[in-house]
Amino acid sequence: MKINSLLIANRGEIAIRVIQTAKLMGIETWVIKTSKEPNALYLGAADKIIDFSDHSEEIPEFLDIEKIIKAVKSNKIDAIHPGYGFLAESPVFAKRCEEEKIIFIGPSPEAILKMGNKTIAKQLAREHKVPLLEGSLGNVADASEAIKIANKIGYPVILKAASGGGGRGMRIVENEHELEKLFKMASSEAAKAFNDPSMFVEKYVRNPRHIEFQIFGDKHGNMIHLGERECSVQRKHQKLIEESPSAALDPDLREKMGKAAINIAKSVNYYSAGTVEFLLDSDKKFYFMEMNTRIQVEHPVTEKVTGLDLIELQIRVAQGEELPLKQKDVKIEGWAFEFRINAEDVQAGFSPSLGVIEKMSLPKSKNIRIDSGIQEGAVITPYYDSMIAKLIVYGESREKAIQYSAIALKKLWIKGLKTTIPFCKAVLNNSNFKKGIYDTSFLVKEMKIHYFEDKDAEMLAAYFATYDFARTLKEEEGKTVDFEKGKNMNPWILNKRLKSL
Amino acid sequence: MDINGRNFTKFLDRKRKYDKQNSKEAAEKQHSKGKLLAYERIEILFDKGSFEEIDAYVTPAFIEKGFGKMTSSYGDGVVIGHGLISGRLAFAYAQDFNVMGGSLGAVHAAKIQKIQNMALKMGAPLVGLIDSGGARIQEGVASLAGYAGIFFRNVQSSGVIPQISVIMGPAAGGAVYSPSITDFVFMVSKTSHMFVTGPNVVKEVLNEDVSFEDLGGADVHARKSGVANMIYDDEENTLLGVRKLLSYLPANNLENPPYLCPSDAEKDVEEKLRDIVPDDANKPYDVKDVINLIFDKGSFYEISELYAQNIVIGFGRLNGKTIGVVANQPKVLAGTLDINSSMKSARFVRFCDSFNIPILALEDVPGFLPGVDQEHSGIIRHGAKLLYAFADATVPRITVILRKSYGGAYCVMNSKNLGGDFNYAWPTAEIAVMGPEGAVAILYRKELAESEDPAKLKKELAAKYRNEIANPYIADEKGFIDEVIDPAVTRKKLISAFDALENKHVNVPSRKHGNIPL
Amino acid sequence: MKDTNGKTSKDVLIACGEGKRNFEIVNPLDEIVKIKGKKVDIKIFEDPDGFSYLIYKNHKYQVDILEKNQNKYTIMVNGVWYYFSIETPISFKRRKYLSKSVNSSKIVKITAPMPGKILDILVEENSDVKQGEAVIILEAMKMQNEILAQISGKVKKVNIKTNDSVMKDDILIEIERS
Repeated sequence: MKINSLLIANRGEIAIRVIQTAKLMGIETWVIKTSKEPNALYLGAADKIIDFSDHSEEIPEFLDIEKIIKAVKSNKIDAIHPGYGFLAESPVFAKRCEEEKIIFIGPSPEAILKMGNKTIAKQLAREHKVPLLEGSLGNVADASEAIKIANKIGYPVILKAASGGGGRGMRIVENEHELEKLFKMASSEAAKAFNDPSMFVEKYVRNPRHIEFQIFGDKHGNMIHLGERECSVQRKHQKLIEESPSAALDPDLREKMGKAAINIAKSVNYYSAGTVEFLLDSDKKFYFMEMNTRIQVEHPVTEKVTGLDLIELQIRVAQGEELPLKQKDVKIEGWAFEFRINAEDVQAGFSPSLGVIEKMSLPKSKNIRIDSGIQEGAVITPYYDSMIAKLIVYGESREKAIQYSAIALKKLWIKGLKTTIPFCKAVLNNSNFKKGIYDTSFLVKEMKIHYFEDKDAEMLAAYFATYDFARTLKEEEGKTVDFEKGKNMNPWILNKRLKSL
Repeated sequence: MDINGRNFTKFLDRKRKYDKQNSKEAAEKQHSKGKLLAYERIEILFDKGSFEEIDAYVTPAFIEKGFGKMTSSYGDGVVIGHGLISGRLAFAYAQDFNVMGGSLGAVHAAKIQKIQNMALKMGAPLVGLIDSGGARIQEGVASLAGYAGIFFRNVQSSGVIPQISVIMGPAAGGAVYSPSITDFVFMVSKTSHMFVTGPNVVKEVLNEDVSFEDLGGADVHARKSGVANMIYDDEENTLLGVRKLLSYLPANNLENPPYLCPSDAEKDVEEKLRDIVPDDANKPYDVKDVINLIFDKGSFYEISELYAQNIVIGFGRLNGKTIGVVANQPKVLAGTLDINSSMKSARFVRFCDSFNIPILALEDVPGFLPGVDQEHSGIIRHGAKLLYAFADATVPRITVILRKSYGGAYCVMNSKNLGGDFNYAWPTAEIAVMGPEGAVAILYRKELAESEDPAKLKKELAAKYRNEIANPYIADEKGFIDEVIDPAVTRKKLISAFDALENKHVNVPSRKHGNIPL
Repeated sequence: MKDTNGKTSKDVLIACGEGKRNFEIVNPLDEIVKIKGKKVDIKIFEDPDGFSYLIYKNHKYQVDILEKNQNKYTIMVNGVWYYFSIETPISFKRRKYLSKSVNSSKIVKITAPMPGKILDILVEENSDVKQGEAVIILEAMKMQNEILAQISGKVKKVNIKTNDSVMKDDILIEIERS
């Protein structure tokens, strides 16, 4: 069925990203306006707006399934694209769409449900002989059970929220002593973030590389992979820089891992875009971690090296079309990086930096793509994540891509708050990163200083502060206060004032 | 003729001896404590070369039955005189810690009183630079009498001339009361302390260990007690701060405040103001952004910034004219009024009224802060202070309701019937007896109790209430608001409104003085 | 109007950074300034888009005043921030004297880096903490943030309770340097 209109149940850059493709396909685009950011950029990009400004429920707007469904029905919208985060991986939402005959641009509710539950996902991997990490068979009841399992498989272990993602509700435990405390923290975090405190335990691979495969399936049983992305530059499991392809893979390994990814996806009759995440250890052994049943934040690097529009493919598959290409047609050419420009203070342990984006100046070039949901004057609030923009840079080779990236970062200027730009520069300056030798411990072990500092920057900062201080003093002193004007009063008020005292 | 040629020996001798009191060694002694000499302070405070000292050569009182040692020196530990600050006459005294620890003896006190008398006679501001160990024990009751005399003059001058105290060293015991009577207290971080009883006494009586800094340091008084209105990191900035503050104030209660020509860059229409108040009524924002956009660029000088931060007070210039602003701060405690914020703002309103400074109230207040602690500590009588201060003020008074204006807090914040001259509201204003949730709970108690989904019903009703009742239009139609204005033109509106009120005069009933609920 | 110039020195100022990183700057308002005794040629340039730049040795640096309070500045140069307090020769001397006196900076106050809710307090009064140890879990921006002890010492005071909402810069706990 052809999609004529589409609601993006999301905000920020991903809403804009989906709108761009939808418009090219001649689809009418709808978005939701919330009171939290009534002037957001994505609102202007869409054709039509549904106003949720009066929303007063406890549950946030983009998580309110029934409200969204009702709005879609009453506006006779054909389909929903959930973006990433929010309801993107909610089997309930996908199911409700199905029931209401709304096209959900994503996989089937069953696939989401199975892959969303890490225990089932692992079971499936085991059945399809995909290597994975040992751990608890399912959720653990409490800390003491976790300790029992951990003692069996050996430390370090990792505690993960059963419904988690994005690093929340996750803790690495080095020894039995700290397990209970960390278990509590992770569990409460999970309860808050996902409304589900259940946790599982698994063996922790020290310093692995994080490699993920982009897979794509249609409703006719076709399944391909679009190569890998390496996301090993992470901090506390938050991805900061991604690249495609990965310097760690050779064609053989790529084929092996790609096959494994396809097998896992096939086990749930997957269709639409999906990502299969693996850990790759230093012996080039890989382990299945999980499958994300949505479009990923870092999808642009895959688009850059494959020349495909993943959102377009998602929409086509959702319309019931067959994938327009087979595995042999997938060509990976050149190299692409994605830098996440977040409002974070890298000099103070990446703490969020709230404030106003006063000015933004973005580099422009045919090699550069910037996905951003923010315009000048936007306020980085505690309500949503701290991402300002994604800088995607393409080069014919890894060296070229790094070179272009360094130039692009130099020309990317944001005024008003602290960002991760100096961090990205520092990574690009690291000799091991340049050689492609890095893993998930890169940030902690390889980088002593998490930001790049120009040689004379401190002196220049000192100068500029002093300059402003001296100028302000001079201005203050130059002000001529007119005391006489206060003394020359209208006789009306002066006489009355005198009399009343 | 050359001064050395005449018989000026004695004159020169005295001068030499006096200069020695301020020698390099003396300076070093103060500097090593991070402090400046009384003279150095005065030089920074006054315009270059304008200060004239008087009574420099007085000597300490003669004591018949001496107890302890007294050093003989000129000036008795305090420098007094007059000079110009930004070109205007001002009087000052500066205690000299190098002379007997700046302790207050009879002559020392007499000098301070003399300068207090002169400032009052001349109708000019008085600045006290305080750096004193306290009453001079050797002189006994005479020093206490000295203090009392100073306090008496402080009170006589109150509301007639601006009085500013700058604490630049210790101020202990009775010495603290003079600053507390004066209009503004400045303190210097780390090197100034104020307390009624010092750490030693606290230790003896209560057996509690507390440092000077924790008991009466600048930070404590700026944040917790509210005694200090302004704190700075060093003495120079502190004294520059005093100069800055004085540039907003008239010399006495007959004059109008001074004027500073605004820059050409001022905008009549400021569209940014439309976006500051969030659509979500429960979302905070910084009212200082509003203030800075309304007043002349860079002119807002905040008073008591760190104390009771749920209300913002300070001076700003509107088209060059000094205005006192009282603004609820939604960013802190949702902008509620509590005991501390009521007292902080009430005293400020009284000051503005004393010195003919018009007042602007920017209102976004959900109500008084609820709680047993507040009630038991007397929010009723402290909240009444602000109400009294507004109602009693005869200077031009304008209110702009930015957002919430509920219940008793609506009345208190310079409402129309409290004598506010003009009351404006932004379209975002919500004026009602109480907030939507509270109102609905009372009005629809029965319906809510019977409902299957009371939470949902409550939300619906609250939304309806917000839409129909909690807006500025009802108040506007009933005349409790003069105009609902576009936020972008607030500055323009206020300039013409204050211009219209320039010659406002109110005949007050004759009485000795009102009885403010102290 | 009387000459009010020369209230404090504008000719020599010292920018004091973290630790002992100080820059003495002579004539900051002149064309040629002297920094740490060396003549330096820096141009200030503002483009119509509202960015400020410094041109130094043919390089362009983006600069921005991130925060300014009295004489304390946070300056950003090419995205990296630096904290300075600007001192005159007199106040610089005072600063040095005061840093020598013992009782001044013994207590270090840990403040909230952002508004949020206190989820957990991991220390109690009189407990010892090590530098870098997490002392408080603050929830903000949907994330749990660990607030770390900046110094090793003894916890003197805990000013908050679990579930308290705190504002930026609120003093959470005070640690006495050991």
